[in-house]
Amino acid sequence: MATDFALDLPFRLPTAAKAATIPKVSTLSPTDEELLERVGRRDGDAFETLYRRYSRSVLGLALRRLGDRGRAEDALQETFTAIWRAAKTYRPERGPAAPWLFAVARNSISDRGRARREPPAEAPDEPSTEAGPDEQAEQSWVSWRVHSAIETLPDHERRLIELAYWSGLSQSEIAELEGIPLGTVKTRTRSALARLADALEEELR
Amino acid sequence: MTNDPNFHELVGDEGPPEELDRLRQVHELLVAAGPPPELSPAHEHAPKVEESKVLRFKRRRTTFVFAFAAAIAAVAFAVGYTVGGRNSSFEAAGVVPMHGIGSQAAATADIRIGKHDSGGNYPLEMSVKGLSRLPKGGWYELLLSKNGHPTLACGSFGIDGKETTFRLSVPYDLSELRKADTFDGWVVVRHTPGQHPAPIVMTT
Repeated sequence: MATDFALDLPFRLPTAAKAATIPKVSTLSPTDEELLERVGRRDGDAFETLYRRYSRSVLGLALRRLGDRGRAEDALQETFTAIWRAAKTYRPERGPAAPWLFAVARNSISDRGRARREPPAEAPDEPSTEAGPDEQAEQSWVSWRVHSAIETLPDHERRLIELAYWSGLSQSEIAELEGIPLGTVKTRTRSALARLADALEEELR
Repeated sequence: MTNDPNFHELVGDEGPPEELDRLRQVHELLVAAGPPPELSPAHEHAPKVEESKVLRFKRRRTTFVFAFAAAIAAVAFAVGYTVGGRNSSFEAAGVVPMHGIGSQAAATADIRIGKHDSGGNYPLEMSVKGLSRLPKGGWYELLLSKNGHPTLACGSFGIDGKETTFRLSVPYDLSELRKADTFDGWVVVRHTPGQHPAPIVMTT
């Protein structure tokens, strides 16, 4: 509950917190577009940064499409080889970098996926419950965006998100594991979610 | 197997409803996306890409043959842009002819290059004649090439008869790549299970 104090102080008390609203974070720097342009000029550091930002997204996409770790890692290498070669053709005025990178990755991965598309020995009796191609493409894109957004978080926030969502640990257990107060875990988790919301703005309804 | 985390436990219920709704949507995206994979130690860093080195395909012909093919490709590309396509159902800005080599010497193909869309994607329509059918699990792949070496993948296709026509889309700006001398031709390689490197079977 907000309360007004009529104190005669030489300074203003801070205004009541707006229910811990976290301000929007600044735009990621360097942006994907800047990195791609630098890669196009053969900047190895930018290439490494882009790799750190997107390699797990590419590998995740490849694993979902190919289902085989070895072939997925080959596709990861081929994707970044293609990015290195084609980056000079990227034009930011035509659109953001993420869809361009996704298209290059999808091309490299689909080439490796061809060998697995063998028809089943018998037609299934029941309709498949698997997602259709459109739905799979949408899921792949969203996963790609989520995973690459996670890579943009500060290390301490990324670790907490990964522990919170995919380790099965409770917040208390994470606090104990990390040796930080529970309140800090909650604050950082919320801050990380807010950053991700900014990064994933276009994916939110 | 782990249970999905509880949004309320993670975030609590303090804050404006619109902010909580935004965070909840992110929460749902994270749950739906699942964990990103871990990179193995061998893949922690970006691959070293040398300008002169290309993908792991074996060079099949002499330098002279590839230089000749490259020259033909460059001319064909330029001529194609001015002459235009020949398929009425596909608006081609250029046509690049290809021919088979080695055991596929009788094969021919045309790549019709469309105008790029607003996203920078180039539509391609390719007609292939005379390539042999593939064994189970095999596929053909069209790639850009430089000095006869495959460089950038443009898509894959199969053959189910003597002739086939299909469409592909590539996200590379072909005009810019050409100006930058990144490619000077096209090749088709044949992938078959257990055969590495994949041999080049067609070139420009």
